[in-house]
Amino acid sequence: MRGHHRGHGNSIRSLDGIIKVIKGNQGSFIEALGGLDLQVEEGEIFGILGPNGAGKTTLIKILCTLVLHDEGEAYVNSFDVQKEPGKVLDNLQAVLPGSRGFTWRLSGRQNLEFYALLYGLEDEAARKRIDYLLELTGLLERADDGYQRYSTGMQRKLLLCRGLLRDTPIILFDEPTTGLDPYSAAEFRKLLRDRLVREEGKTILMSTHNLSEAQEMCDRIAILDRGKIIACDTPDNIRYKMVDTSQFNVALHENAYVERHEEMLAQLQGITGVYRVTPDISHEGELKGLSFRIDKDMDLSAILESLLGYELSIKAINSEEPTLEDAFISITGSLPAPPWRRHRR
Amino acid sequence: MKVSIALKQIMAFTKRDFKSWTTYKTSVITQLISILIGVFSWGVRASYVQRAVSEMYDSDYISFLIVGIAIGNLIMPLVQGVERRLNPWTLETILMTNMSTPVFVIGNVMWNYLFSIITFVPYLVIGVLVFGVEMNVNIPATILAFLISAAILMGLAMVSSGLRIVTKSTDPVTWAINVLQNLFSGIAFPVVYLDTIFFPGVSTFSWFLPQTWVYHLCRLAILTNPSITDPGIAIQFLKGLIFAVVLLPVGYKTFKWGVNRAKREGTLGHY
Repeated sequence: MRGHHRGHGNSIRSLDGIIKVIKGNQGSFIEALGGLDLQVEEGEIFGILGPNGAGKTTLIKILCTLVLHDEGEAYVNSFDVQKEPGKVLDNLQAVLPGSRGFTWRLSGRQNLEFYALLYGLEDEAARKRIDYLLELTGLLERADDGYQRYSTGMQRKLLLCRGLLRDTPIILFDEPTTGLDPYSAAEFRKLLRDRLVREEGKTILMSTHNLSEAQEMCDRIAILDRGKIIACDTPDNIRYKMVDTSQFNVALHENAYVERHEEMLAQLQGITGVYRVTPDISHEGELKGLSFRIDKDMDLSAILESLLGYELSIKAINSEEPTLEDAFISITGSLPAPPWRRHRR
Repeated sequence: MKVSIALKQIMAFTKRDFKSWTTYKTSVITQLISILIGVFSWGVRASYVQRAVSEMYDSDYISFLIVGIAIGNLIMPLVQGVERRLNPWTLETILMTNMSTPVFVIGNVMWNYLFSIITFVPYLVIGVLVFGVEMNVNIPATILAFLISAAILMGLAMVSSGLRIVTKSTDPVTWAINVLQNLFSGIAFPVVYLDTIFFPGVSTFSWFLPQTWVYHLCRLAILTNPSITDPGIAIQFLKGLIFAVVLLPVGYKTFKWGVNRAKREGTLGHY
């Protein structure tokens, strides 16, 4: 039932779990990916998150045929990445920061012309496409400068231009904004999201360990840890579903921190659903506020009643939404999520 | 259609490498000076020796040596071209363009090869005008010798590239062949002279080295005005051709094997 397994539209799909085993430096073998199962849908930005060594780059290189997997199946637009690599490469382009392949002594335009010829583009079509891409990325004015004069941001944009030369429906990015200054990174993200996906309808799979970038850009994300997907959903769902606690802050009109406040803290700490209470005490010994790490579903009235019982004057109350970072730490860090939340989706 | 794309791709490499080469103005000048100095230095050495090369080519030593050195300059870029251009960050990008292996290899060596042809001419011109090199060229035989030589060396280049992708450094096979060629391929003396210096029969080993055939066929074609319809000559060319016919597919397979193994081990981008 091969047809049943295959993806459709501009999609990327790995089935039955990709296993990739690579050779370690000492001849031992390391399992880089251990049974992934995910599908990227047409027109979405899909993020692969994970700590260093999680297998993000390996996954991207498998999809762009630069690494062969040992078990499982992967399809790009219904083409098998191992059996039909040529057709896979016709459908996707990868922007890998490590593989520049540009000639430093040539201009940005000349470098693009070289790749346009390698891709077999017709001269006129290539010229138009190159002009369009240089304009799209804001490189037109510097197109005839030598590549070696380009800043890191410009080099990254030229990489993007090369990635878009063939106008493929799917683009893979490996850490797209690493090394860029905040302004260039924001500009780059806007370009990917607004122009390539929203306007041109491309499908993007990107790896990143920049959580705010994933939160801002991705329609869905998968969190990869030691070669396995341990969460896959929208960023919001992951934030809410994967984090058990939330932050709750109370700002107080300043009172001298006195002994009975110790008693209050002990009482607050004893309320069901409160995991940690941290007082904010100024250098002058004034109690300025309290921060609570609480169960995300708890009823806050017990806390408020307790505070009012100690006649504290409340200035402001706010709660902080769990961030993707909270979720990430909860999933991969020292606060592991409960086992029932670790199943692969 | 596919051939025209392949030609365009080879042209793209050549154009890129030529443009890049011209930007290194100091290097261009020093390379040209090196060629001139090289011809004169070999010419003076050969003049000093002034020995007749009665074996194999019935020539004088200056003609024998200058032509040999010119051939050496012509063929080395083919072996070194791909090897020097192989770096992981380029390789990954180029492989993603989905181009064929022969186009990749030919494209990477083409400019170096064209440049070496350009330098081949002054070698011979200076050799003839200054040192009295006597050439007895047979054009069809020379073209055939160059084609066979190119095929042999292309095969070696692919073997070298395939192994280098795996070893990430000098590959032992090509290294050994290149080291052995200095002694056994007859660059500076006819290979049969080895029998006189060492012991009879040692030159037989030379004929198992591909480069020996490159030097031999090119010297035959340029120094002895051979007719390729002559059965004795045809057999020489046929033997060289066998090396080409074996090495080309072996090189192709080795290159593919190297790429696949690196992909399997996830080391294509390593160096």
